[in-house]
Amino acid sequence: MDYVDPKNSLNMPEMADMTFAMDFLIRVKEGVRNTAIALTETVSPDARTLLRTQLHQGIAFHQEITDLMVRKKWFHPYDLQKQYQLDQLSANKTVDISKMKLFPDDTTRKGMFDRTPDEHMGGNQA
Amino acid sequence: MISQQSALAAHESLEIHEALNFKTLCLAKSKLMQGLVFDQELKDLMEKDVQQSIQAIADLQALYVKAPFQAPVPEFRPTPILS
Repeated sequence: MDYVDPKNSLNMPEMADMTFAMDFLIRVKEGVRNTAIALTETVSPDARTLLRTQLHQGIAFHQEITDLMVRKKWFHPYDLQKQYQLDQLSANKTVDISKMKLFPDDTTRKGMFDRTPDEHMGGNQA
Repeated sequence: MISQQSALAAHESLEIHEALNFKTLCLAKSKLMQGLVFDQELKDLMEKDVQQSIQAIADLQALYVKAPFQAPVPEFRPTPILS
């Protein structure tokens, strides 16, 4: 598979967006679960109030993302056969992409920054 | 007892520690991914997440101050970053 072949960039934007949306959905979902668990571990009124607010916010956000993904046909919670096909296709495509050489061997990018991270403490102390 | 009322318990502090780090990572990811996304609606939703996360982090930080292991925060990382 060659990444410069134009046939591989067909539908690429939509497939990329589907992946980003799925990541977004999973992150928000994990946030809701984590917050709910944290809430059951806290007693301080301040902590409980804040976590409850953030839990409600997370739940509302989860719904928003789910609705968007269903509307864009990136997610099929009511048509599991469609979802199955999508799951398999995304997995296969992503495995194919990950077998390509996309990045240079050396990614340190040394010399591209005009100052060292430790400059504030006198430079070569590190 | 009186001074402990406003302090967080150790296990609660660790929950806030995890929540804060999770939110920080999600914020970084939503901000970065906005530059890669093609769909405008998805991008707008990520921007909404960025704005909500900034507020959520500020709230968590205000609570984290009450952790028993709270310490003054230096302007820079206290340990040198080795290359």
